[in-house]
Amino acid sequence: MNEIAERNAAPPPFDRQLNPTALRSGQLGPMLLRQAHSEFIKLWRIPMFSVPTLLFPILLFLLFGVPNATETLPGGGVAGPYMMASFGAYGLLGIAFFSFGIGVANERAQGWMKLVRATPMPAWVYFAGKLVTALAFSALLLIFLFLFAAVVAGVRMPLGTWALLGATLVTGMLPLTTAGFALGYWAPPNSAAAIANLVYLPTAYASGFLMPVALLPPFVQALAPYLPPYHYGQLAWRAVGVDDGQAALHIAWLFGTALLFGALAVWGYRRDNGRQFG
Amino acid sequence: MYVIEGRALTKHYGPTQALRGIDVLVAPGEIVGFLGPNGAGKTTAISVLLGLRKPSGGTIRLFGRPPNDPQARSRIGVMLQESGVPESLRVEEAVRLFQSYYPFTLPTDELLRRADLAAQRRSLIANLSGGQKQRLYFALALAGDPDLLFLDEPTVGMDVEARLRFWEQMREFAARGKTILFSTHYLEEADALADRIIVINQGRVVAEGTPHEIKQRVPNAIVRLRTDLPAEQARAMPGVQHAVADKGHLVVSTSEPETFLRALFRAEWQVADLSVQRADLETAFRALTREEPHE
Repeated sequence: MNEIAERNAAPPPFDRQLNPTALRSGQLGPMLLRQAHSEFIKLWRIPMFSVPTLLFPILLFLLFGVPNATETLPGGGVAGPYMMASFGAYGLLGIAFFSFGIGVANERAQGWMKLVRATPMPAWVYFAGKLVTALAFSALLLIFLFLFAAVVAGVRMPLGTWALLGATLVTGMLPLTTAGFALGYWAPPNSAAAIANLVYLPTAYASGFLMPVALLPPFVQALAPYLPPYHYGQLAWRAVGVDDGQAALHIAWLFGTALLFGALAVWGYRRDNGRQFG
Repeated sequence: MYVIEGRALTKHYGPTQALRGIDVLVAPGEIVGFLGPNGAGKTTAISVLLGLRKPSGGTIRLFGRPPNDPQARSRIGVMLQESGVPESLRVEEAVRLFQSYYPFTLPTDELLRRADLAAQRRSLIANLSGGQKQRLYFALALAGDPDLLFLDEPTVGMDVEARLRFWEQMREFAARGKTILFSTHYLEEADALADRIIVINQGRVVAEGTPHEIKQRVPNAIVRLRTDLPAEQARAMPGVQHAVADKGHLVVSTSEPETFLRALFRAEWQVADLSVQRADLETAFRALTREEPHE
């Protein structure tokens, strides 16, 4: 009798006290979509990121690719597809660096991550959202670049080659994103953009993305094989038929990059967590 | 059964002692206010209770669970200071994002209406005023239809009108049997909202009780005068919390200056150079701590 009265008087203290208008939410699928969507529009609405990212490879192709599209390269292969691979790699390297590096560095500085940490959202959803965003930007960039190359410069390849080039560029970018993450966690928030720029252009140049490695000054040529993006480029050129026969070495380099910078990123992430949340 | 159960919490950052052993026990449906001057340890206490910072010592349970347990987190709403929302998102997008994180949510329209942001739903966050941003944080805090709200100085940056409306929202929220822990450095705000006030200074609980009890104990006026009344005797007079001699003056902290002055004149002590100043909390706490040489 007493028990019933008590139960009617007040619900047990740890029961959910839902509002009459409450709705179900929080399923992983929609959460991931929302997260990715937010990350994407966050970058999309920063013209300083989205315009150069999507436009520069096409601009480069317009300046250098279109006039020479049908010429044969000294090492064999046709200039049009080769430059498409180069400028595609250039663009995706930028996405790997900037979208992760600057995004993470900025958010680290804001209290935003603290607020997000207090929600039940699992941490991996945050990273998955960034990864999906990088993939979406990469896909957009490659679609624009490929269409431009095909329509304006008349680049013609078998359908399988187009697909192989696209797949190689996107897959090869994934290990390079670890460098972006590492940058995001180790660079001071205000200088992340400057550091990314400082690293990006010289690396892209020395890896042969702006002009073929064979045309670079000798000391840069000697340096190139020690740069992870160089190996990324080699795999991309291989997809369009310019193969140096060392694919296994290049893949090993990319794996090594993922391990090294992945470890650096995790270390930086933990350090940051300790600092912000310790 | 406590919704928030924090016991013997300590926290130091290097040599700095931010919390020196505080207990925070909050029952379901209670509105509890942390009151204290800037730097008292209110924000640290909230971060530690939320599981955003690890305590150096002590234990925490939220709904009987560790504070970082997703089950506990899905029932909590949070407003922190200076959160910084991604500026290139629109108001509605940020709200919908937070809605997607929680197992239960409220309709987007309702959240925007409660936070008084219906007119700004399409605005970029970069274009919001300080008060509007603060209201956006409130909408985000409500996104999970929480049973427990943590609000760290929630009305900072709001004008008087917005502050009153915010308090109204808080009362409505609590009327549904929900629990609130908020911090403030305004006695007025703690008084208007809280069932119970926990006064914190220098990482310690210095007083705890209903707003009425606290108002009696926290001096709200400083009386300065030249007099032959000794400080020890002044301390024993009605309404006096503290009294110290200071460069030939007597400085009295009191919650009831009128009562003290009446007694002073009735006993015919000499009075010269008299001033009565309303004390903000900062001054009141300084008055409280100055008197404690053991520290």
